[in-house]
Amino acid sequence: MFKKVLIANRGEIALRINRACHELGVQTVAIFSEADRQSQHVRFADEAYCVGPGPVVRSYLNIPNILSAALISGADAIHPGYGFLAENARFAEIARDHGLVFIGPTPSVIASMGDKATARRLMAEAGVPTTPGSDIVASAEDARLTADRLGYPVLLKATAGGGGKGMRAVYEPAELETAFATAQAEAEASFKDGRMYVEKLIIQPRHIEVQVLGDEHGNVVHLGERDCSIQKPSHQKLIEEAPAPVLPESVRIRLHETAIAACRAVNYTNAGTLEFLVSGEQVYFMEMNTRIQVEHPVTEMVYGVDLVKEQVRIAAGEPLGVTQGELSPIGHAIEVRVNAEDPDHNFAPAAGTLGRVEFPGGPGVRVDTHVYGGASIPPYYDSMIAKIVAHGATREAAIVRMERALSETRIEGVKTTVDFCRDVLRDPAFRAAGVGVEWLKTDFLPAYEATRAAARATHAAAPV
Amino acid sequence: MFDETIAGRVRPLAEAFRDAGLVRLTVREDDFEVEFRRRSTGSVLASTPAASAVSSPNDPALAADEGAPAGVAPEVLTSDVVGIVRFMRPAVADGQRLDGDRDLAFVETLGIRNPVRFRGSGTVAAVFVTDGQPVEYGQPLFAIER
Repeated sequence: MFKKVLIANRGEIALRINRACHELGVQTVAIFSEADRQSQHVRFADEAYCVGPGPVVRSYLNIPNILSAALISGADAIHPGYGFLAENARFAEIARDHGLVFIGPTPSVIASMGDKATARRLMAEAGVPTTPGSDIVASAEDARLTADRLGYPVLLKATAGGGGKGMRAVYEPAELETAFATAQAEAEASFKDGRMYVEKLIIQPRHIEVQVLGDEHGNVVHLGERDCSIQKPSHQKLIEEAPAPVLPESVRIRLHETAIAACRAVNYTNAGTLEFLVSGEQVYFMEMNTRIQVEHPVTEMVYGVDLVKEQVRIAAGEPLGVTQGELSPIGHAIEVRVNAEDPDHNFAPAAGTLGRVEFPGGPGVRVDTHVYGGASIPPYYDSMIAKIVAHGATREAAIVRMERALSETRIEGVKTTVDFCRDVLRDPAFRAAGVGVEWLKTDFLPAYEATRAAARATHAAAPV
Repeated sequence: MFDETIAGRVRPLAEAFRDAGLVRLTVREDDFEVEFRRRSTGSVLASTPAASAVSSPNDPALAADEGAPAGVAPEVLTSDVVGIVRFMRPAVADGQRLDGDRDLAFVETLGIRNPVRFRGSGTVAAVFVTDGQPVEYGQPLFAIER
């Protein structure tokens, strides 16, 4: 086992890793930016180094300063958390070159999974179903032939695309030519790369992902699936749960078996997540995340496995602490992301200083957070300030418990997603379970906004 | 302001902090703020918004401050990288006169030497670090009076 681990992250995940290390008897080294000097992740670590000013490029992405902190502190491993350098193959490689163990998969696996085309090809070779699609199409005519073969609707996508640019959904053959021209022009303008491909458009898919762990001795296990379909219009996850509700058993088994096969195909080590789009009985591989994920606690709650400790153990060369036969989920867990954002204004992030802060507790409730009353929320970082997780014997029990937990939560000083998420939990469609990734945007938000507007109008009209 | 007053206020706090075996202590008072943190090596890091001082029980930093004439704010050279500080030879000492641009030290990061350069002329008011010591981003290294 390692003697000392440098945690190359901030916020709740840095604390989470710190806790796992301390429980393993491993000392910790925190890094922090000047904006995070007062942060809990700094105080809870055994030692800490300031690596730069607030902006992430100069601090949490500052590879030389982070590696230097690891070397001068005598750390033998680096845990990258999520975000920042977690899926940076070059960082993993440089760390290794300096004699440090990167707690994650090998640099080459990170690199191949990070490239969308390579990942799709590797997965297809391993027999993992990917969204039906084409290679580069040379022209609109070529695209039309492909669309005919795949069946409408289809998605025209730029290979260099991102953030929805160079992407068009096409529902009818008649729309194709114009859509192809505009998407290609957009891709050309945005990325100086007009190469396009065609993919089948999956209607109202659910986002279901499978958690895996692999060690260096050839053992691979899955820890079931999570349903992360409740996403903001920006496709950032907001509420996650495990196991996925109302999922046909045959689909669940296929997801698990597919995930294991995918890991074996690339000799995957450490913790990872395979993300799938699920539509009815159909399962399509989307991408693999080669890191611990924000929503890992819902899996931990139902499986009773400490995923972060397993990550550290695996990286230290130890065999997995569990076998597949020992793993079965108990009950249901839900996570709500508490973001310093204003749901009434397109989830605009808020920075500032927190006033009174009270988090929930009691049976079956877990809170992962780095904030406290009076803490400052710097403007440079992700807006997530806490994760509240509730576990119950059934999905309904977990939801009721979460509603209770959110009703105990008080965060003053910034707008948060707490009340918004409570409203989502109370929605009949959410209660019925199985909504798709677009549901929040296309169904819930319009009704929510109408209700809010009506409430404001009533309030404004009320006699003083 | 980094002057005798500050040094005079910091020193007893530093001693109290050390003797109490605390891990972290922040003192705020009007425009004055000082924070102490204990590293695992047992050294004590103190920082104030305007200037900072690094001290361990036998570190000359605080004692050196008292030699600084009152009322003048010295220029504090800080490290802009994380690494090991190495003094250039001959090493500068408190009270030493500097004439012309000069590299006082370098901070070694992953084998790269990042020079700590003083431009102009002045007098060394304080040396906050010892040769070969690990330093973090923003850590004060030298105070120089122009």
